Amino acid sequence: MSHSDIYTQIDRCAYTNRFAKTSPTTKIFFALSALIISVSSTSLIAPIIIFASTTLLLLYFARVRVRLYLFLLAYPTFMVTLSCLFIALFFGTGQPIAEIALPWFNWTIFRSGVAMSIATFFRVEGAVSCLFFLVLTTSVTDLFITLRRAHVPKVLVEMSLLIYRYIFVLLEVTGKMNTAQKLRLGHSGVMRRIRSLGLLAGNLFIRTLEQGERTFTAMNARGYDGEIRVLEDMPPSSKTALAGIAVFDAALVVAVLFTMNIGVV
Amino acid sequence: MLFKLENLSHRYSDGTLALDNVNLDFAKGERIALLGTNGSGKTTLLNHLNGILQPTSGRILFEDQPLKYDAKSLLNLRKRVGFIFQDPNDQLFAPTVEQDVAFGPLNLGQPADQAKKAVEEALKVVGMAEYAEKPPHFLSYGQKKRVALAGVLAMQPEVIVMDEPTSNLDPRGTSDILHLLLHLNKEFGLTLLLATHDVDMVPLFANKLCILNKGKLVTTGSPVELFSNTNLIREVNLRSPRITHLFEVLKKENNLSVNPQLPLTISEARKEILRLLYLENPFENY
Ligand SMILES: Nc1ncnc2c1ncn2[C@@H]1O[C@H](COP(=O)(O)OP(=O)(O)OP(=O)(O)O)[C@@H](O)[C@H]1O
Ligand SMILES: [Mg+2]
Repeated sequence: MSHSDIYTQIDRCAYTNRFAKTSPTTKIFFALSALIISVSSTSLIAPIIIFASTTLLLLYFARVRVRLYLFLLAYPTFMVTLSCLFIALFFGTGQPIAEIALPWFNWTIFRSGVAMSIATFFRVEGAVSCLFFLVLTTSVTDLFITLRRAHVPKVLVEMSLLIYRYIFVLLEVTGKMNTAQKLRLGHSGVMRRIRSLGLLAGNLFIRTLEQGERTFTAMNARGYDGEIRVLEDMPPSSKTALAGIAVFDAALVVAVLFTMNIGVV
Repeated sequence: MLFKLENLSHRYSDGTLALDNVNLDFAKGERIALLGTNGSGKTTLLNHLNGILQPTSGRILFEDQPLKYDAKSLLNLRKRVGFIFQDPNDQLFAPTVEQDVAFGPLNLGQPADQAKKAVEEALKVVGMAEYAEKPPHFLSYGQKKRVALAGVLAMQPEVIVMDEPTSNLDPRGTSDILHLLLHLNKEFGLTLLLATHDVDMVPLFANKLCILNKGKLVTTGSPVELFSNTNLIREVNLRSPRITHLFEVLKKENNLSVNPQLPLTISEARKEILRLLYLENPFENY
């Protein structure tokens, strides 16, 4: 999977998964509440439950492709693992679990540091799975409409709407120009490659300006008067689903509170 | 007259004289094809018809009233004159097909349910109903062209102006779009004006042909009339439809007694061949 490919795949997934037709409000409510609980939990239980349930929802119920999900998870997991290693090795105070005598100083690994590192790892993974839940099940269109309903300033919503659409147009253009350069051997040798990339970037910038102008003209031709109006029909949020999520969240909060003082290791 | 262009000239800011004193008029319900080579000024001319460009000299009358360029008059004009761009990517900006087609009707102030109905109908007409909820970047080029057309149809204009409606379409796509346009013209009296360099398509579509060359309107007439004037066609670096060319060669090289009004389409050619065969051998049954 290439990088530009991954955006297209995420986008496609958001429109075609089995939750595509459920109310975006419900999905946003679920993802955000679980995210907040995950990052504010001090024990492992809540993040693990959250990670497990979002993964189950995504893979089993929404039928998101396993490969896509794992591919997406790989990036943050890699980053978090590195940071957590760092935390485990260099952070913490109090009870040491290992001491290594180096010639110039005594390197101590603390129990609290390791505990913090493990907790951080799970909290972040829980939170990340919530974000992916939102990204993979909710189309950008639905997000825009929800934002608009939530009275986010129009300029912001309309700008993002246009940016979203033209990201794909420009991705296509970039891909084509890149291929065209390669076919004419523009990428043989480092210097030539750098030069070609510079040209591509410059060209792309001009293309963007032109595209903007043409789109504006086209919008005017259909009676654009400074406001983008959209059809706002969205599936209504189901009361049962919302209640279910509320109960799930409440259970998590209780779990968080009860396990607050139990150490991680 | 629906549209009347009087001494229309347009000079771009870099000094290019893209239109040079064009006089042209057309009536309601006509099907007009603008033919010309690359850079002959077709797009420039079309862009004047719904106020995207303003003439540098001369004027344009719409229903005998000169075009005005304030926001309100433009909006009124654009309600009635729909415009379809050469590249559908310029036109499709909304995140889904349905939202994009709804843009025009909503701008006309239609309430949501009415707009929704207009969208459904327009998408059905162009055969894209099942793609309503897809984002445009999932569609093929030809499908995007259809959606762009639906976006304009949904506004129920009286005139549709199209820049190269069939470029980059496969034969099936081209023929579908053509039939669709002809149907709209016949059924709803829609006036159609399109720019093209696809000469084979012109006789199937147009009842009136305008030939542009280097910003000048060379001539206007029926396709039969203009394509029979082979010298003129060659002068402006165009060619006749393939089938017409064949008969031209048959006439010149083989001295076949072809009707001076050369056939332009397959069906006309068929008639002509049968006629010639009959002259050759009247006793055979064709
Ligand atoms: N924005 C512009 N600025 C300056 N010159 C322009 C601009 N757009 C077009 N021209 C010039 O005006 C002339 C007519 O261009 P136009 O786009 O109308 O041609 P066309 O008949 O539509 O060609 P094509 O078949 O390639 O689409 C050309 O010489 C072109 O270079
Ligand atoms: Mg053009």
